[in-house]
Amino acid sequence: MSINSFGNGNIRRERVLFIALTFIIVFAIFISYLFSLQIVRWSEYMDKASSVSKRTTEIPPLRGEIYDRNYDSPLATNMDSFEISITPAECDKKELPGMISKLAGILETDSQLLLKKIPVSGFYQSVRLKEGVSYEQICTIASRIDEFPGISWNSRPIRNYIFTPSMSHVIGYVGNITADELHILYNSGYTANSIIGKSGIEKEYDMLMKGKAGQKRNTVDVKGRNVTDSNDTTPPEPGKNLVLTIDRHIQELCEKALGERMGSVVVLKPDTGEILAMVSYPAYNPNLFYTNASSSYYKSISLDSRYPFLNRAIQSASAPASTFKTLMMTAILEEKAFPAEVRIDCPGSIILGDRTFNCHLKTGHGRLNLSDALKESCDVYFWEVGKEHLGTEKIVEYAKKMGLGTKTGIDLPGEVSGLVPTPQWKKRIYNVPWVGGDTYNMSIGQGYTQVTTLQIADMIAMIVNDGIIYIPHLLKEVRDPVTREILETRSPQVLHKADISKKTFAAVKKGMRRVVAEGSVRGVFNEKVAEVAAKTGTGEVGYKDKWTSWFASYGPYNGKPKDQVVVVVMVEASNDWEWWAPKAANAIYQGIFGQQNYEEVVETLDIWYLNQGHDYIRKKSE
Amino acid sequence: MNRKSYLNFDFIILSAVICLVTISVSFIYSSGINADGVNTSNEYLKQLIWGCTGLILMMAVIFIDYKFLYDFSVYIYIFCNILLLITVLFGNKVNGARSWLGFMGFGIQPSEFAKIGTIIFLSAFCAKNKKEIRSLSVFIKALGIIALPMMLILAQPDMGTTLVFIPIFLATLLIAGAKARYLFFIAAGGFLTMVLTVIPVWTGYIMKQESYLLNILMNTAVLFNIFIAGIIIAALAGTGWLIYKKNYYYWLCYGSVIFSGSIFCSIAVRKVIKVYQIMRLVVFLDPSVDPKGAGWNIIQSITAIGSGGFWGKGFLQGTQSHYQYLPQQSNDFIFSIIAEESGFLGCMVVFLCFFIILMRGLMIACASKDSFGTYMASGIIAMVFFHFMINIGMAMGIMPITGIPLLFLSYGGSSLWTSMIAVGILINIYYRRYGFKI
Repeated sequence: MSINSFGNGNIRRERVLFIALTFIIVFAIFISYLFSLQIVRWSEYMDKASSVSKRTTEIPPLRGEIYDRNYDSPLATNMDSFEISITPAECDKKELPGMISKLAGILETDSQLLLKKIPVSGFYQSVRLKEGVSYEQICTIASRIDEFPGISWNSRPIRNYIFTPSMSHVIGYVGNITADELHILYNSGYTANSIIGKSGIEKEYDMLMKGKAGQKRNTVDVKGRNVTDSNDTTPPEPGKNLVLTIDRHIQELCEKALGERMGSVVVLKPDTGEILAMVSYPAYNPNLFYTNASSSYYKSISLDSRYPFLNRAIQSASAPASTFKTLMMTAILEEKAFPAEVRIDCPGSIILGDRTFNCHLKTGHGRLNLSDALKESCDVYFWEVGKEHLGTEKIVEYAKKMGLGTKTGIDLPGEVSGLVPTPQWKKRIYNVPWVGGDTYNMSIGQGYTQVTTLQIADMIAMIVNDGIIYIPHLLKEVRDPVTREILETRSPQVLHKADISKKTFAAVKKGMRRVVAEGSVRGVFNEKVAEVAAKTGTGEVGYKDKWTSWFASYGPYNGKPKDQVVVVVMVEASNDWEWWAPKAANAIYQGIFGQQNYEEVVETLDIWYLNQGHDYIRKKSE
Repeated sequence: MNRKSYLNFDFIILSAVICLVTISVSFIYSSGINADGVNTSNEYLKQLIWGCTGLILMMAVIFIDYKFLYDFSVYIYIFCNILLLITVLFGNKVNGARSWLGFMGFGIQPSEFAKIGTIIFLSAFCAKNKKEIRSLSVFIKALGIIALPMMLILAQPDMGTTLVFIPIFLATLLIAGAKARYLFFIAAGGFLTMVLTVIPVWTGYIMKQESYLLNILMNTAVLFNIFIAGIIIAALAGTGWLIYKKNYYYWLCYGSVIFSGSIFCSIAVRKVIKVYQIMRLVVFLDPSVDPKGAGWNIIQSITAIGSGGFWGKGFLQGTQSHYQYLPQQSNDFIFSIIAEESGFLGCMVVFLCFFIILMRGLMIACASKDSFGTYMASGIIAMVFFHFMINIGMAMGIMPITGIPLLFLSYGGSSLWTSMIAVGILINIYYRRYGFKI
């Protein structure tokens, strides 16, 4: 049957063919395109279809907790906290502002701030609105969930530091990972959502504590709702618990003994290098970084001229002042540079070239031998012997032997190495030759020499240990968070081993004991529980009215090595009469060996000038 | 019904239609299943009811002699346009368009029925003016017949349905024997208008780079000057043709009128429709420029189709559809869910059914005993074809999103009834192919 023979006969055959051809061409194109989509590129679209509905949710791991050496109550723990998210597509565009302002009321935040975070409505992915939402706030929202379409929440524990602020420098704090940090740490298992330690132990041992995020894989519909009950979950691995060498009772004692004075205290076990306490004032409260006021608090801390972020025990160095004389004594004895029993006359000053150097006692100490000179802290003696008999090179040699000028290797980030000046160093930096006055200054711990509180503690530890410094450390053990079993124990490691005779150290120890027993601090120091050996120091900072008050000590003087502790206090004093370091150290010894807390110490020693305790006593007497 | 008329009945096209309606109800049922496997929609039931009533309607249309339609064509046309006018003025707004007319809880879309009404009247007009069909005046009058409902539907505004009238017009006039150059004028002018309208959005969002030539076409002031120039050229060429009767003057005039007319229309259209509407038209060229917005539907639809593979994921097993990634599954994107769940094989069944309807319809146009039947059949197949091409092309991402339903398959009573009535008319024409002549 040809087309022409159909119907009424006046249809043009080519026009019918044209239409038929159009149909056939379009069908052919569509079929071939459908073939290409469904058969040629099937796997590509299959992947796309399954990936679009597959979501992997990260389950954040619980960060390891931090304990002090007693391992009874944590110093840093995790607190229940939630983050609130919104899926804009689930909320009516018109109702959004009203709902957000209601939400802002519950969350105690600004609704404009929340609105800004919401992208165009109709967006199917959930957007984080606010972190650090408390359980109570979540309960309020959950009970009225009908009023909050599209709002969801999940748990995101935040760090809680219990022992603040004195532990803040040791433990540090955590925060969201920055792009720079991620760039470096990408291969170490960090993701853009990671929480990372920003300073202190949190930073140093982040890898141990961070744990491993778990994953929950599920199939979701377009609104992000789960559509399968399949439990394809990799549970998160919690981070390890850390046990620090810190004793929180001693830490608290040191914090209160130092009071509101800029400075630092280090208490160290010389036979292992364990740090029992490390206090730096002023400190900060890291818990406030996780609150609404975080940015303003962070700003105020950053702009504080007293640098609260600075850990003064390891991150700032100053002149060791007279504490350096213990090192001088060690060097003089070991090198036999000058006979220990020979006396030198101290007239109160000494003239070198056109300069007069005054001893701290301007009337003069009279005739002194080495031990007396240490006891009296006579400058003239050490100038004389240091310059004429020992020599700059030997002083430098012993300073380095005893750990000055190099980092102690403590397990905290940001430690400074301090400085032991040499003639070559001075020439290089200032392009001025080393002169006799420089040796004078160096001999009494002034001038260019810069040490940290921890380095002085190590120096004392070497004297106590007869020539060995163990690496000072804060980590005692790593424990499993669930079973609590010990996974790793930090054993003492030798940092410096000096070839100095025991006889020398015995003499130095005896000299230091005389400082407390007969010397200038005799009136201050009240030794009820332990005999203490020490060396004081009053350093010039460079400004007229600024001093550093040092007290480098150990005790008990004749105790067993495992009972001995090194206590070093450094106070940036604003006057030279308060002389705080020995007073603080006295309270610390009383607390450690009398097993007392600060308030009891104040009562026992009856020291009215410890101002915090003053109130306490008054209250008791009322 | 005697044995002869029983044989006259077109069972092939009827089975294709029943096959499509069955597929439609099944997959509308599937589209109502949510991720938990629970049916959340009774759309499939409604579609089933409309399918059955539509079948009755179709039978009714078959048994009424279509001479009746010829006699009442002008009233049908007027009635349709009055309905459209009422819809524009008082209709219910759905998805931004005033396209619904509801009474007593029962809503219809008059624009769907207006297509049939217009086909009937246009066919009757062409049959009446068969002798002068090649003349310009008949052509322009025919153009006027479709222009009225088009304007009323555009005012809703429903651009997709408006466009359906153009292929209906072209096919009817083509078969009726209008001058090819007039038809080409409409086709080329329409196409050029479309292109000029979307160029600014296209260059801005898809190409993301500028070219001098396109910049010229984007600048309304420059475009206006070109339009003036085109008018002048057309006028001069027209004058030249009148004076010298040279053919090349005619074609110069013809070309420049198409060109300047398109410019004029595109400027006008750009004033009326909004950028996001144009965006919807061009986004299929590269859906990734707006994956969460205008491109979302296309991306999800292509993914659904592609992931179906040869055998499909199985009935009720589609993930794109049941996890609700695929939007408007029961109406505009019904093809995507069919393709996802029944694969290439199922698509071929759908294609075959449509091919049967179209080819059979074309044959019926040729077999009709009179011109009126031929023209109606041409208009109907043009309508079915256009819906098929635009809707499935849109689902596959090779045609712009115009939001017109896939006849027989998409959810919607008006659309299904219209399609059933249209097929009823086809069968009617076939059934009476040996009868009297008008």
